[in-house]
Amino acid sequence: MLVSRLGSRLGRGALAVWLVLPLVPLLLWAAADRWSAPALLPQAWGTTGLAEARAAGAGPAAVRSAVLGTAVALLATPLGALAGRALTSGALRAPGLVFGVLLSPLVLPPFAVALGLDVLLLRLRVPAEVGLVLLLTVAAIPYTTVVMRAAYAAHDRHHDEEARLLGASAWRVVRSVQLPLLAPAIAGAAFLAFLVGWSDYVVTLLVGGGRLVTLPLLVGAAASATGNDAQVAVLALSAVLPPVALLVVIGSIGRRARR
Amino acid sequence: MSGSLQLTGLTRVHTAGAAPALDDLTLAVPAGSCVAVLGPSGSGKSTVLRLTAGLDTPTRGSVHLDGRDLAGVVPERRGMAMVFQRPLLFPHLSVRDNVGFADRVRGLPRRQVRESAERYLELVQLGGFGHRPARALSGGQAQRVALARALAAEPRVLLLDEPFSALDTGLRQEMHELLADLRLRLAPTVLLVTHDPAEADALADTVAVLDAGRLQQLGPMRELYTRPRSLAVSRLLGGRTEVPGTVAGGRHRSALGDLELPAPAAEGRGVLVVRPEAVTLVAAADADARGTVVQVRRRGLRSLVTVEVAGAEPAAVDAELPPGQEAVVGAEVGLRIPLGARCVVPLADPREVASAHDGQR
Repeated sequence: MLVSRLGSRLGRGALAVWLVLPLVPLLLWAAADRWSAPALLPQAWGTTGLAEARAAGAGPAAVRSAVLGTAVALLATPLGALAGRALTSGALRAPGLVFGVLLSPLVLPPFAVALGLDVLLLRLRVPAEVGLVLLLTVAAIPYTTVVMRAAYAAHDRHHDEEARLLGASAWRVVRSVQLPLLAPAIAGAAFLAFLVGWSDYVVTLLVGGGRLVTLPLLVGAAASATGNDAQVAVLALSAVLPPVALLVVIGSIGRRARR
Repeated sequence: MSGSLQLTGLTRVHTAGAAPALDDLTLAVPAGSCVAVLGPSGSGKSTVLRLTAGLDTPTRGSVHLDGRDLAGVVPERRGMAMVFQRPLLFPHLSVRDNVGFADRVRGLPRRQVRESAERYLELVQLGGFGHRPARALSGGQAQRVALARALAAEPRVLLLDEPFSALDTGLRQEMHELLADLRLRLAPTVLLVTHDPAEADALADTVAVLDAGRLQQLGPMRELYTRPRSLAVSRLLGGRTEVPGTVAGGRHRSALGDLELPAPAAEGRGVLVVRPEAVTLVAAADADARGTVVQVRRRGLRSLVTVEVAGAEPAAVDAELPPGQEAVVGAEVGLRIPLGARCVVPLADPREVASAHDGQR
């Protein structure tokens, strides 16, 4: 008993170190005006990195990423929910095949798919922003489908029947019973879809043609240059921290639902 | 709030070509009465409720409520509420919001919903539980809340799908008393489904015995106990003694001898069925038949003994002894079977016997 509790604590501790450790040099670099080898800590502290990142357009890029992530989440989550519901309803003749098709964006190399579809979108004269959202939504659907399929499989449809018999219309059942019960899963699916949009690099680069600058593009551009480690660190942190904050919020929704 | 329900020729075939889950059921549930559908699992009894509630569509037949045909009427407009085997409380709502769900859906003001919910909670002896989360209740409490929620919807017909079978014996007894009390106060029309004859006996005015999707017998429980129409009904109600023989001139001839029958029976082969409670062990001089005790089982203060009677077609008769009377294996005893307890049913259809054996394997 004691051994297993100790082991569990050690495991959790190791996991926390594994996740937090990479952030430590980033945090140090972000606040370092000068840090040259072989010093263990920066020689001069300051906000040069922050100023450089702002000058490079980190603010608007972060807004663009957030809008992109939100748009992808708003589209991919309901679509994933519909797919998950259909896959578990028993109404599909070959649910395994449909599931496979929905998951296929995961196995296809995104570079090839984006390049091919970019040509198609250009021919159809679809604006780059719309095309980007559409492509990333397709890339996010596997994640939202997997999450929502599991949630619908675990959802007890007898609750829906009970609500119907108590006078609720089909739409009212969705609103008053299904949505509240599936809320943690919906939040989880939306988070994953948001991440697909928030952190995408390849598709944004290809479809946006370099004109649509999001945070990952900015990080990529800054990291490929040299001598601006503090700026890269600030940009990287601003790409990491919002999703972490979002995750904490979603975690609390899940905990409240389980109580 | 009570309506009268009429099921006519109700049939449901789940998959084309397969045997119907429910076959041509006609059943009346008069306003304010409680009718139980009694059957083993897989007999189609839950199907009766799902078709009545509109959760499934009948292949044939109709459901009428107060003379109105409910074909094509969606579940939420049928004026019925159902309590399932599991409480199915909405886990994201408080106990009060669960009970007030139907009123909220109807759009009643919050205050009125609250008051009504409290009233129904009092009715199921859970006054003051309203603020608790639905997840914080014990199994028995949750099922009471489910009952309160169904009653608060003020349904024309209350459908109960084995609502107490997941509860332990003591709680089940309490729920039976509660439901009997609610029937006195509210006089709802109740269609109950159960596999437990004791439950049907405790709650229902009339019992419909269902087996393999077909109605076997309909009547008050006493009548089903003493005058089962078939071996299937007798067995379902816990009948154990089955003595094959021949009926001629109002008498049944078998290993037990030549026994007079209380009511006319079809001439020819027939099986004598007798409830173990009716059979008594007596001195050889007063006995209708004599045999040897081959098994004794305890049933609380009583014993259930099996007596084997020799003959061309040997018979086994079960008797439940009153407290204090004992029997030992190997003893020679006399059996007394009162005239009123004798009932002859047709020999089971040979195909039915075979399929019953297949089912057991």
